[in-house]
Amino acid sequence: MSRAFLTLSGRVWLGLILVFLYAPIAVMAAMSFNASPFYQLPFEFSTVWYQKMAANSQVLEAALRSVLIACVTTVIATALGTAASIALFRYEFPGKKVLQALLFPPIAIPWLITGTAMLILFFSIGIGRGTPAVILGHVALALPYVIVTVSARLASFDRTLEEAARSMGADTWTVVRRITLPWIAPGVVAGALFAFAVSFDQFVVSYFLSEPGDTTLPVLIYTAIRKGFTPEINAISTLIITLSMAVMFLAARYSKFGGDQ
Amino acid sequence: MTLKSVPSLATALVALTAGGAFADEIRVLNWQGYGTDIDWSLAAFAEATGHTVVHEYFNSEQEMLTKLRTNPGAYDVVMINAVFTPQAAEEGLIAPIDTSAIANYSGIPASFAEDEKLNHDGTVYGVPWTWGLTSFAINTQSFDAPPASIEALWDKSYEGRVSIRDDALEAMQIGALATGQDINNITDMEAVTAKLAALMPQLRTFWSSENDWNQYMAAGELDVATYWSGSASRSAGMGLPVAFVVPQEGAIGWLDGLSIPATSTHKEAATQFINWMIGPAFYVKWDADGAPASANAEAAAALPDEAFNKAVLGDPEVVARVHFQDAISDETRAAYLEAWQALKAAQ
Amino acid sequence: MADALHPADRARLAVFLTPAYLWLTLAVFLPLSAMLFFSFVTDMPGDVDQWFVTLSNYGEFLRNPTYASLMWKSLKLAFTVTILCILIGYPCALVLAKSVKGRTREALFLMVILPFWSNSLVRIFSWAIVLRGNGVLEKALNAVLPFEVKLKLLFTTDAVVIGLVHSYLPYVILTSYLALQAVSDDLIDAARSMGASSLTILWRILLPLSLPGLLAGAVLVFVPVVGSFMEPRILGGRMGTYYGTVIEDQFVAVYNWPLGAALSFILLAVVLVVLALASPVLRKAKT
Repeated sequence: MSRAFLTLSGRVWLGLILVFLYAPIAVMAAMSFNASPFYQLPFEFSTVWYQKMAANSQVLEAALRSVLIACVTTVIATALGTAASIALFRYEFPGKKVLQALLFPPIAIPWLITGTAMLILFFSIGIGRGTPAVILGHVALALPYVIVTVSARLASFDRTLEEAARSMGADTWTVVRRITLPWIAPGVVAGALFAFAVSFDQFVVSYFLSEPGDTTLPVLIYTAIRKGFTPEINAISTLIITLSMAVMFLAARYSKFGGDQ
Repeated sequence: MTLKSVPSLATALVALTAGGAFADEIRVLNWQGYGTDIDWSLAAFAEATGHTVVHEYFNSEQEMLTKLRTNPGAYDVVMINAVFTPQAAEEGLIAPIDTSAIANYSGIPASFAEDEKLNHDGTVYGVPWTWGLTSFAINTQSFDAPPASIEALWDKSYEGRVSIRDDALEAMQIGALATGQDINNITDMEAVTAKLAALMPQLRTFWSSENDWNQYMAAGELDVATYWSGSASRSAGMGLPVAFVVPQEGAIGWLDGLSIPATSTHKEAATQFINWMIGPAFYVKWDADGAPASANAEAAAALPDEAFNKAVLGDPEVVARVHFQDAISDETRAAYLEAWQALKAAQ
Repeated sequence: MADALHPADRARLAVFLTPAYLWLTLAVFLPLSAMLFFSFVTDMPGDVDQWFVTLSNYGEFLRNPTYASLMWKSLKLAFTVTILCILIGYPCALVLAKSVKGRTREALFLMVILPFWSNSLVRIFSWAIVLRGNGVLEKALNAVLPFEVKLKLLFTTDAVVIGLVHSYLPYVILTSYLALQAVSDDLIDAARSMGASSLTILWRILLPLSLPGLLAGAVLVFVPVVGSFMEPRILGGRMGTYYGTVIEDQFVAVYNWPLGAALSFILLAVVLVVLALASPVLRKAKT
């Protein structure tokens, strides 16, 4: 097999996977322009769901609140998670394995149970409910994803680089800032992207811990369990994905985080 | 750590922050999209009384109770299926209601008003609001004439095109109807589980919301599926070819009431809101968009004659076939769930 | 690295590690400890006057065969989904890390995760529209293929697997990418100049060096899929009952937190045992 053939088939594969990843997103977007409230085919073009969405202040507010909470969560979880990953990678200490294993309960135990547990505890210790409590919960659920992702990147870090820098007199902070962080940047970016996804889709915690009236988008969607949702939800989701895509392409255009050496 | 210590602390906090009495913000706990949260109605209510309304939603009755238990002071009106009202009253989650302050209460017939589920120790804990039926609906394109019997769900000619809701209690009660038993006192559980086991191969899927029901029906996936009366009239109103059937075996009747949480700090405004919710003015307009039947006879009488809730659910012959749900103990509920899970896991 | 920590290092360790774990303790570990306690009592303390410490909630798992059979079903599902994610995602990460360069790579990196910035329920319902009879996929295939195909995918286990692979694939792709991209191109060029074939390079260099990333991804897939119930319910139809479903029921259909909590901790224990059993095997494979 020639390398050219391998490269070509590899790119075809990557293309197919992107098609797979975007298939439901494309359907979601298409249905936001379909007149049928029951997602019925054949397709009949209409912008009625966008008009309804624009007039529905509840959906817009919920979407905005979700984005804000997800942004705050991403920043905090990424910062704390990256620091913890570096510590777990760099130092050997008793109990390290336990700390690593403790990352699994929040991932393994269904969020419904964790959310219910948070509700009870937050009330008994007086944190109560509200946006701070929601963010407290979101960050905690996003942290394990950040730590696992950043650690995956760190595992391939060449420690001799740090040692070389240190032997040349650099202090710890300088080493972290100038050597470690640039190296793990792709891991941090991936961790942040996951953290955003976790928070943005997190229903249970917001559902139990947000103030009545302060709904987020997932809460709005999941509580529609009786009547269900209309393609308005597709419209707002399509809008959000389109905006994120624009932001991301700008980010890709002006910064380097893919790890090009 | 006990749950009992929670209320005292939070009530103290709430007492400190409780505001003025004239223009209150009342907080309603209900299913989403279930009558209390309609924009025009809230605007009309605000104009009439000055009170604004915010909502919080629940996804299951158990979650509603959990929210009441853990969030003292957070809600002023709660919608409770009458089956759960005795439990909420016994746990002290909801307060007695002064019905003399509710002008529209007089329109509620004794059959609902004196329902023992809503009355506890001689006091009213829930105001009857809406009622409806759980039975099944058919795709009218697949049937020449509506079936007379619940056996339609078991009819082999619809194999793989049937759906029921993924709910243990509802499944057992459907099974009870089909085996000729009392839905509130199932004596022969084996017959019910055997009947449901025979239903399983008929099923295309379980439905969980009106939305998936409508989608599956619209996509032509289903011929016959269990459904709620109010939802069926709404689906038909939206142009789906569906008809609701009340078979000769009968149908399950449910009653939803409005209650006031014991820890509510705006009880007066809450009472006013309940009065507005059960009144004919609100109901007639709500029914035009698809509503369950009103428990208020005056509101029901105000409907146009062709309205589903008057034409079908007002028909004494249909009413005679309704078996209303009684309160249900935790043990029975757990036993139903266990049987239902075993049936589903065997698939 | 195994040497004892200097006091200065210990201070740094505390500064780096404490915020994250303190946060986790307050928001996850303490609440879950309360749940762990509930799993050992007969009734919810506070609701009733009399409650006892008991093992009966755990005994329930042994008494009722439904739970064990669903646990096995969920484990099989999680293995299938994890293996498919690896087989599909790893080559994808390889191409992204070693064959695409520059801005394109940056953009593709982001595009892999972007679909997950939408709501999972909306995504799953969109899959239902794709997979159902007379749905998008069937229509598309029939438009392209000369013969008629009838897909009966929706409401089958296959549909559940497709939906779950879709939901979790980005974890494997991105974590594998992070590790693969770290492998120096010089190392690969050197191997190639010594006559190593592409397969040898993959097997002897890339795979061993990127294993930590691949494993991290696999864990992020396997662990949540064992407890999943949303995707199975919507895409699996009457086949969609899994272990996560029965846990959810204890909180949603009945008020039995003690049993629900016990079932959750059994799930956690099983997951940890599987991970512990897998780790020596994988460590051996690495060397």
